[in-house]
Amino acid sequence: MPDQDTDNEQLPEGLLRALKAVDAAPPVITATIDRTLADMAVGHFGTRRATWKRHGGWALAASVALVAVLAVQLIGPPSGVADVPYADLNRSGRIDIADVLALARAERPGVTQADLDAFAMRVVSLDAGGVR
Amino acid sequence: MARLRRQDPRSDEALVAACNGGDAAEAAGAFETLYGRHKDYVLRVALRYVSDTDTALDVLQETFTYLLRRFPPTGEGIELTAKLTTLLYPIAKNTAITMLRKSGRFPTAEDVGPDDLPGPDDVDTGDIRGVLASLPEGQREVLQLRFMDDLSLQEIAEVLMVPLGTVKSRLHTGIARLKSSDFAKRLKDE
Repeated sequence: MPDQDTDNEQLPEGLLRALKAVDAAPPVITATIDRTLADMAVGHFGTRRATWKRHGGWALAASVALVAVLAVQLIGPPSGVADVPYADLNRSGRIDIADVLALARAERPGVTQADLDAFAMRVVSLDAGGVR
Repeated sequence: MARLRRQDPRSDEALVAACNGGDAAEAAGAFETLYGRHKDYVLRVALRYVSDTDTALDVLQETFTYLLRRFPPTGEGIELTAKLTTLLYPIAKNTAITMLRKSGRFPTAEDVGPDDLPGPDDVDTGDIRGVLASLPEGQREVLQLRFMDDLSLQEIAEVLMVPLGTVKSRLHTGIARLKSSDFAKRLKDE
């Protein structure tokens, strides 16, 4: 069994040169292969960007909802709040802004923008009160 | 364009980080640079296992396709803790072996280890390629990684996923066999 000195175990110069020469000249990789890999990379990361865009869309919707909440807080709650389902619509285990978005997506008949704003405001109030 | 990207001054770590989290264009450019930097190495590794150029080029493409899929959105991303070559080597090797197995040119028994695989008997050990081919795979691989790829013993242990002591043992035996080969004797005489 070799000891630590093996770390520095070297080959004679001639053998080392011969070894390094073994695969010194690999075949040429054609431009077609290069292009294929580059195109694959563009497609792959382009998909990721599309995914981010989708998430970005949700982020935008959430931002709009939050702005609406702030507006409602400044102006005061709308009427008809009692008719809006304050529920865990997306079954996430908590009532939060995602449920507001779920309600907005559902386009439930009779639910107005004011209702959504009220829902959003209530969600914020619940969060502020530490209630889930 | 490719030549320019090859001269990208960023380290592999920075390029991998761009692939992990950069925007689409930045990530694609970073990946292209990584490919340009390491494609020759991957092809050389492939040619150590497969004999024909076409299959080696297939291994090259498969290796980088696999690497690409490790990045988001399909993968978790890569945390580079060592040289990128230490990651590329096992991917290229395993891809090449998979291709050989599919073509029936590599043992399929799971319990056959690198030291159990003797080299072929009908090689010309008067030639360096023949000497390498005559060695058990484990010894040949360590010699190649140490002296052709310039990896440290620790890096070799990580690449091959074997204990450092095993690497040292294979290196020691491999060197001894190289030195006692007909090729080495002929070099000495010249």
